[in-house]
Amino acid sequence: MQGSRINRRYFLMSAAATTLGSALVACGGPSSSSSTVTLNFWDYWVTQAPWVDNEIKLFQQKHPSIKIKKTTNVTDQYPNLFDLAIKSNKQPDVFMLASTPKINDQVARGWLMPLDKWATEEWRSKFPQGSFFEGNNIFNGKLYSAPLVGSAPWIQFYINNAVFKAAGITNPDGSVKIPQTWDDISRAADAIKKKGDNDVFPFGFGNGQAFILPWWLEMFVRGAGAVGGAYDKDLRTGKYTFGTDRAYTDFIELLLEWKKKNYFYPNSMSISDEQARALFERGKFGMTVGGVWNQPEWKQHKFTDFSLMTLPTPDEKPKGYFYHGIGGTLWGMSAKTKHADEAWAWMDWLYSKEAGKRWVEMGEDLSVYPENNDPANVKDKQFAQYVATAKLSLLAPIPEVRNPAVSQVIQNSVKPDISDVMTGIYTGQIGDVKAALSELAARMQKSLDDGIKQAQQKGHKVGAADYAFPDWDPAAGKDYITKPAS
Amino acid sequence: MSSMSGMQSPPAQANPKPAARKTERKQQPLWRQILAQGWSYIYLAPMAILLIVFIVYPLFASLGYTLYNWNGIGDPSDFVGLENFQRVMQDSIFWQSFLHTFIYMAVLVPVQLALALALALVLNNPKLRFATFYRVVYFIPVVTSAAVVGIVIRLILSNFGDAISNLLQFLHLSHEHIDWLADPRFALWIVIIVGIWNTLGYNLVYFLAGLQTIPTELYEAARIDGAGAFARFFFITIPMLRGVGLVIVILAVLGSLQVFDLVQVLTAGGPYFASEVVNTYIYHQAFGGYSATYVDPDIGFASAASFFYGIILLGLSILQVIAFRQIARRRANTQ
Repeated sequence: MQGSRINRRYFLMSAAATTLGSALVACGGPSSSSSTVTLNFWDYWVTQAPWVDNEIKLFQQKHPSIKIKKTTNVTDQYPNLFDLAIKSNKQPDVFMLASTPKINDQVARGWLMPLDKWATEEWRSKFPQGSFFEGNNIFNGKLYSAPLVGSAPWIQFYINNAVFKAAGITNPDGSVKIPQTWDDISRAADAIKKKGDNDVFPFGFGNGQAFILPWWLEMFVRGAGAVGGAYDKDLRTGKYTFGTDRAYTDFIELLLEWKKKNYFYPNSMSISDEQARALFERGKFGMTVGGVWNQPEWKQHKFTDFSLMTLPTPDEKPKGYFYHGIGGTLWGMSAKTKHADEAWAWMDWLYSKEAGKRWVEMGEDLSVYPENNDPANVKDKQFAQYVATAKLSLLAPIPEVRNPAVSQVIQNSVKPDISDVMTGIYTGQIGDVKAALSELAARMQKSLDDGIKQAQQKGHKVGAADYAFPDWDPAAGKDYITKPAS
Repeated sequence: MSSMSGMQSPPAQANPKPAARKTERKQQPLWRQILAQGWSYIYLAPMAILLIVFIVYPLFASLGYTLYNWNGIGDPSDFVGLENFQRVMQDSIFWQSFLHTFIYMAVLVPVQLALALALALVLNNPKLRFATFYRVVYFIPVVTSAAVVGIVIRLILSNFGDAISNLLQFLHLSHEHIDWLADPRFALWIVIIVGIWNTLGYNLVYFLAGLQTIPTELYEAARIDGAGAFARFFFITIPMLRGVGLVIVILAVLGSLQVFDLVQVLTAGGPYFASEVVNTYIYHQAFGGYSATYVDPDIGFASAASFFYGIILLGLSILQVIAFRQIARRRANTQ
């Protein structure tokens, strides 16, 4: 009996010691020796991981006394995980900024370290003009982050060359004839359908997660002059125009006509985007809409027989373009880091022109530095096609530049949102398209108005007029330079 | 002496009467009573702590969140009072989800229980060979994660759904291709069918356990009296299963009203809310759902919806218990 008691006590003590030991290891003891500093770095990038890992390798070679310990988190849980890290006082030294709360809120909560000590005027001058401004990456006159990525239309129309060639949609030289207008696309779809191969469809997508159909809307209405696209307001008036701009109803009519003609891969509404990418690769359909992030996966599978275009228009001349802002944020530094100089060295490296060049060369995306974005320097054919589309993305008005208080407006999401409405329209659950779009616009407008009202109640000088730029001509085909408020 | 002795009541009397034991316990201070049963409390503690931390605390904590407009990050500060409850009650999608949940329950429970009872009767037949094998086969879906089941069914319908659809067209039963999980006419029904199959094993095992408590002598006596199979089923099996059956019905109803994972994986409540149930509705409000990347979570509103639904379920459970008691009382009076 005595023996059993000793055993139990011994067992409990051992278990306690093991647990305590594990906990200490998990909490992380001193992470660096006297000569090496270990920086904890958090991100949520998976497809871009090869670039990040390469930069870590190069940085550590250049700075042997600094070690980067990277933790890649789940994208949609990142804000929660980061919040937990803050609460438990275990925030990383350098990190990708969480999407929630907004950066101004993170600054207000004291999460971020101002970078002004290192980000001198000379450092800032490397970036394109207007990259840093109050309300975007500067708050109360202090800089907290910087941009990495340049701007191009974020969505592309992909073409499976083999399907097009089999349907005879080619130029006289035998190359694939890339459609440019809505009619071209309809004709190409018709040709694929008429070929009579019942296993190959003109179009396909994977709306299983219900967010893909708005991509189609975005792709088609931009060139038709719907300035807000699928998600945003018309910055000429500051109003949502889903119910009033006929570009939306025109495209939806065309979409439903394509559906009626059985142009879409029949399970498009239930398969995932990943499945759709795989089916496109196998030639199950000839055309799809997706982002530049599709390309690495296809190339990993040795599938390169595809082309891309963007901004299809109803007529030859686009009535609108894709638009982007300036400024931008990506990585930040913890206000509580004990290795601020080393953390800055790592941030400086990530934001450098050289790293940006490798970013483009590795086919990740465009660089914020225009000189890195020359298609001629890109070896990969399809990625070069994407880089060349950058000219179709123009600078739009930026309410935050004119009035930094706009960044204090928090606009809540609405339900049903554009994804729901497009799904309902496609499946036939929504019969009155125009009414559904008008109701969506009203919901979005109310959400914006409520956000403005709340910001006003908190004492911020902001109003609906801050979102209106009546002098902007989106069809002009040139950048709009927002003048800061005097 | 082993410390396990602490688990036993001190044998002050050889066989004390319950009233005397109660008086004796009343005389002891509470802490001594607790101390005397120390090991019992120690053994209960882990589960009690887990329940308090993960069920009771979140339940009451979420009650506080219902009064705020809060996205789940940081501390809630935007107090909105009862506005979230008002929004829930005025939201047609919530009531649509509520209706779907009840359709799910109203179809699943009777069909599943009837199937489970029928299968249990077959598997309870002592002459049936390989009965254990069949029991395992029917129980396997229960131990398989609903997420895995959902993904497999999705893949099956993605890969073989065309074949089923083509067959229906060939037989002139349909004139169009059917995208099963994205068709508002079928999505909820597919979820129900999969739900029936997935958790059938639970009720099968419950019924089997219930059937095995019925003394075989009753059947033998009935047989001698000339009762046929139907008579034995209706006059012995059903009445003898009444107690177990009530518990099974209550568990099945409550379980089906809590459906979440299967719907989330199979259809995510789509298309356009056609298969949205209350729990997926709450999830989509709390975490953004399928548009998570673009949509801000609304924890305050989701908590209000969750609490409101909890109150409705509690009310229904009370009604269910009262109804069963009434039925039992009426039966007792008529006998």
